[in-house]
Amino acid sequence: MNIQAQPEGLESCVVACWSCKGPASPRALFCSVCNAVQPPRAVDHFQRLGLLPGFEIDLAQLERHYFGLQRKLHPDRFAGRTGCEKLYSQQQATQLNEAYETLKDPMRRAVYLLKLAGRAADADPKGTVSDPALLMESMEAREALAEAETSAEAGAVLIRAEADIASGIADLAQAFAERRLDQAEKLVLRLKYLSRLAEEARAHKARLARSAGE
Amino acid sequence: MAYSDKVVDHFENPRNVGSLDKGEASVGTGLVGAPACGDVMRLQIKVSPEGIIEDAKFKTFGCGSAIASSSLVTEWVKGKTLDQAETIKNTDIAQHLALPPVKIHCSVLAEDAIKAAVADYRAKHGDPTIAPADKAAASQGSKP
Repeated sequence: MNIQAQPEGLESCVVACWSCKGPASPRALFCSVCNAVQPPRAVDHFQRLGLLPGFEIDLAQLERHYFGLQRKLHPDRFAGRTGCEKLYSQQQATQLNEAYETLKDPMRRAVYLLKLAGRAADADPKGTVSDPALLMESMEAREALAEAETSAEAGAVLIRAEADIASGIADLAQAFAERRLDQAEKLVLRLKYLSRLAEEARAHKARLARSAGE
Repeated sequence: MAYSDKVVDHFENPRNVGSLDKGEASVGTGLVGAPACGDVMRLQIKVSPEGIIEDAKFKTFGCGSAIASSSLVTEWVKGKTLDQAETIKNTDIAQHLALPPVKIHCSVLAEDAIKAAVADYRAKHGDPTIAPADKAAASQGSKP
């Protein structure tokens, strides 16, 4: 498994196993002396799943690592063990799920990468958008959708939104590769609006299809 | 989560839905959005030569609270001067509609929308009192 994404110094330091007090690597899931499961350490989602941090990840590798780790750490395996071991395996499994769900989805992965870079991509929920071009584009698209009277018209809005999402994700990959984080932040916001549009278009299309008895 | 009766009323019978001609000199347009939920809100005012808001329209794509907040604001601003309209606070909106804490941002959006509409109107008329921070929001309405 890939462990190149180590923060400085973490590899060299050693922690005591909670059970036998023996020396354990901070990355170890199990104590090398007594084999007790260890509590989850404060590492980022990429490190937890043994991946290099970045927007473009190998999804097959993500799946492999996640399911491999989950097999070792699943609480079902610790049903007959001490309370501490049950608790730690639960905590480990929860952290693994959180890491997996975040990295699997390109949008959530992008927001998380921006957060790691010290940027508040999700920003303050009370904040408002003041990018006039984005707002104008969203308003026009939502109005076009509201005016759609057949499921085919709503479907056309959906197809356009999905194409825009696909090209937005490609642009996002490039922005991250070139480390243009301001651009990445703008793209994440635009993608949020596009996802919402696609979601509404899907619902509207289904409603129209139902009422037309299609 | 249950909506208050006032929210339901504005949601089911929204006041002043529609649009005004944003190219007209007497019209100010505010366009704002909430990054967290992908909502978008447009609020427009028509101002008389005496500086009184004589009409207001809105179009909001968002949740019930966002629709109710913008509907309420269009009712409140009619008959007010620009200065009076600018004093509308999100807390007044939230209180009137009994918005729960998770929906407070909808009232913030409505407050920002009316401020942006007033700023747009002022920018069209070259009002020097316009704050630099509002210029970006104000310029949106003057684009083709």
